[in-house]
Amino acid sequence: MGKKRISRRKLFGIILLWFFLSTTISVWPEERAVKYFINVELLPETHLIKANETLRWTNRTQDYIPDIQLHLYWNAFKNELSTVAKESRNEGLLKRYQVKKNEGGWIKITSMTTVEGQDLLPSASFIAPDKPVNPDDQTVLRVSLPKPLSPGETITLNLEFEAQVPSNGLRAGFYRDGYFISQWFPKPGVYQEGKGWNCHQYHLNSEFFADFADFQVKITVPEKFVVGACGEEVDRKVNQALGKITYTYIQQNIHDFAWAASPRFLKVERLFKASEEITPEEYQQVANLLDLRPEEIKLPDVRMILLIEKQHRNQIERHFRALRAALKYYGLWYGPYPYRTITMVDPPFRTGSGGMEYPTLFAAGTSVILSKNVLSPEGVIIHEFGHNYWYGIVANNEFEEAWLDEGINTYSTGKVAAVAYGPGEYPLKFNGLPLNWLVKFPAVYDWQTDRLFSSTVVKLDPIVNFSWDFFNSTSYALNVYQRASTALNTLERLLGQKTMAKIMRTFQQRYRFCHPKTEDFIKVVNEVSGQNLDWFFQEFFFSTKDFDYAISSVKSQKLTEKISGLYDQSGQDIQPAAPEKAGKTWPKYETTITLRRYGEARIGPGVKMKLKVKFEDGKVEWREWDGQNRWTRFTFITPTPVQTAQLDPEHIWLVDSNLSNNSYTRLGPRQKIPTTTHGFFWLVENMLLTLGSLF
Amino acid sequence: MPIKSYLFPGTKSALIKFKLAIYLWLIIIILALVAVAPLNHLVRANLSHLYLGQPAFIPFELHLIEIFIAHQDFFQPYLYLLLILFSLTAIIFIFLDAALFGRMITSERKITFSDFLADGSRYFWSFFLSTLLYLPIFILFFLLSRFLAFPLNIWAGKSVTEWPVIISSNLKLLLFILLWTASKLIFDLIRIIIIKDQKTVLLALRQAWFFLSKHFFSLWGLYLLVGLIFVLISIIFLFIGRLISAEHLFGLVLMIILAQAYIVFRLFIRMVFIGFENRYYEKNRI
Repeated sequence: MGKKRISRRKLFGIILLWFFLSTTISVWPEERAVKYFINVELLPETHLIKANETLRWTNRTQDYIPDIQLHLYWNAFKNELSTVAKESRNEGLLKRYQVKKNEGGWIKITSMTTVEGQDLLPSASFIAPDKPVNPDDQTVLRVSLPKPLSPGETITLNLEFEAQVPSNGLRAGFYRDGYFISQWFPKPGVYQEGKGWNCHQYHLNSEFFADFADFQVKITVPEKFVVGACGEEVDRKVNQALGKITYTYIQQNIHDFAWAASPRFLKVERLFKASEEITPEEYQQVANLLDLRPEEIKLPDVRMILLIEKQHRNQIERHFRALRAALKYYGLWYGPYPYRTITMVDPPFRTGSGGMEYPTLFAAGTSVILSKNVLSPEGVIIHEFGHNYWYGIVANNEFEEAWLDEGINTYSTGKVAAVAYGPGEYPLKFNGLPLNWLVKFPAVYDWQTDRLFSSTVVKLDPIVNFSWDFFNSTSYALNVYQRASTALNTLERLLGQKTMAKIMRTFQQRYRFCHPKTEDFIKVVNEVSGQNLDWFFQEFFFSTKDFDYAISSVKSQKLTEKISGLYDQSGQDIQPAAPEKAGKTWPKYETTITLRRYGEARIGPGVKMKLKVKFEDGKVEWREWDGQNRWTRFTFITPTPVQTAQLDPEHIWLVDSNLSNNSYTRLGPRQKIPTTTHGFFWLVENMLLTLGSLF
Repeated sequence: MPIKSYLFPGTKSALIKFKLAIYLWLIIIILALVAVAPLNHLVRANLSHLYLGQPAFIPFELHLIEIFIAHQDFFQPYLYLLLILFSLTAIIFIFLDAALFGRMITSERKITFSDFLADGSRYFWSFFLSTLLYLPIFILFFLLSRFLAFPLNIWAGKSVTEWPVIISSNLKLLLFILLWTASKLIFDLIRIIIIKDQKTVLLALRQAWFFLSKHFFSLWGLYLLVGLIFVLISIIFLFIGRLISAEHLFGLVLMIILAQAYIVFRLFIRMVFIGFENRYYEKNRI
């Protein structure tokens, strides 16, 4: 009997180990530098989590490393002296993250030993690596090792910690018995050879950076909770005596681990069946775009898991439709999704955790009342799923170069939303009710609004900047998301859709499971396009120069047959004859078009700014300008006056902060202006009447 | 039947004196023209030669936002102008209300602009004082609405779904509107008494208080009924407005006519309020 019991356990253990290793070996032959084995229990009565963590970290550099640096992110919510709190105060946002009595978040390591049993806590101290230095910040812990870690050597640390879930945290939090748990465990920074640890403290605007790792996480919660987490659930054990349940999740080759638990979740699963989602014609079309064979871009099936709040149950299909579109187009364009599952969480109400990405899991976010013309929650679902590609798989340093994932992913989101849904109305609400019910707003594509809003921050900060060095949160967000996306859309229009598609796929494929930098992206752009586009990045990513080319004036005047005045010819004053008096060619018009460069930014060498001029007889003339000087002027002598003039008629330069001054037509935009001004007029009349009825 | 006794005669009196709505409408047009002129100039200067193309590369509305972003310097002085204009409007409206109430309450059927202006001048000071008196009443009702909203705040604060938050915020808005209408009713009645009984402001307040202590709910019920009719007709106006496309000249003209008709309708409704309140007071005062 006893023998039989032991062999069953062994068998289960062997199967689990085989499963764990086989997925690791078959998909990712390389060993990861970091492995985590975590057992965590959620205690809802006190909103605490208690955990033990075995952390195995391998030195894969040639350096001898004397210490290890760990992120303890939840200490950002411990007091009002943390960097997050101070930066929030500077922006007038402190109230949002203010520590409420007994509800601030924190994390405390209660024990840290080596496998030999040596206690490392006495050698641990908090550090604040970023400037301006904040000695009160406790989000990075430096632990001196008993002896420097040699190249190739592995250290195993056994940690015990407890953490208070923040009530109003940033990305993580709880409300009543709904939890979203992220950035919750001690996690080492990234050791960079010759440079040391890259382990920034938690900032208001910063996101994250970590090494790829293998995770095995056991999560214990009261039985009533529905749980979702990164990776695959491989085991579930119920302890009926205690009324608790333990879920085991494993996942290889990811660099973060988040989970959510709530009794109000509905868990719905679907399969993304590639063969049903993508037609052979679609494969062929994308293969042609990428100069690949259709079989090279085949996509795998993926298990889609949705944890949705019961109040949003009527939106289940809307969520899955958006996720299927994202899996399809990101997969086709950038490469197959490399994991077996994707978990989409409609975050628990009031946990402040919506719209956030984690590997193989993301938090979306919706509302109980939606307008069908607004792409919400679709936009956030596509965007957060897309981060599995840009942040998850291609894992840039979000602290230092957030645009590499946020900007590229905003650009990608817009493309997926456009092809899957078309334009959507802007989401405007009043008291939770969509204003679209009352007022008709125009449907717009993401790139249209991205370029509009990004123009407000161009002169504040460059796109490539440390997250905490931006002027404010708005400048950070609009620069790294919308402005970067606008620059990439411009690049696509400059190079063509095919070249851009190949650039994005090459960048994704080359840096899968790596930590690329902006220079790597530029190298790929130059290599794939066969051009030196360093100027493009210098002007639009590394500078704060405004880009604004314009048609400053258009004049068309009728030429007279006789030219007045006396002109010297062969020593005699004569009245000259009219030029080219060929009867039919008169009257003639002289059209002068002046172009100006109002902004500091310029187009690069070899690139021309095009001018298209159409005359009333239907004749079209093209001119080109190198755009280096502040202005230029073109003159045309034609039988009819000008009808329209367009600078950049192919609409390449979306980075142009003012497209309204790029065109000219004598008639103007027809009824649009009187409609608009009357709209303002009517609004003011109503405001005056309302004011009048108040008193 | 309060509707038959007060609402119909009130509406009839507003119809008879419809010319007053036209006077007010013309004055509002002048004020609105002053307010909108700089904005109109900005839009025309920047977009009057815009080539949109077919289909438009960017919707016109985004071009509009774009030029607002590009001319942010314009908005600070413009907002000051609006602030000054709106402050002046508040004073002007006291005068216009004095004129409107004066002409609505008089038994004379013939309406002339000189009489309108004369009533405005005659009652301006009393109406100005009544406005000063109204402000604390308004604040009191506002605070009352905040106090009454307290249970809604608790309900929404403890909710685990979004529904209570949306419902409570809209109920709070509704509560505020209801209390505002109640305060407005008192205010209107004070002004009617000032004209009808030639009382001072404080005496008018005292009389209005006594009167409403007996008739508040029936008068308020009528007020809310007219308010509801106004809201319903406004929704129909907005709905029709959504159907009209201003792409063609005919549509634009139709839209302008509809929009201006709505402004006149709002003024007319204001006259209906005064008409039935006056009728109610006339029939029920001791």
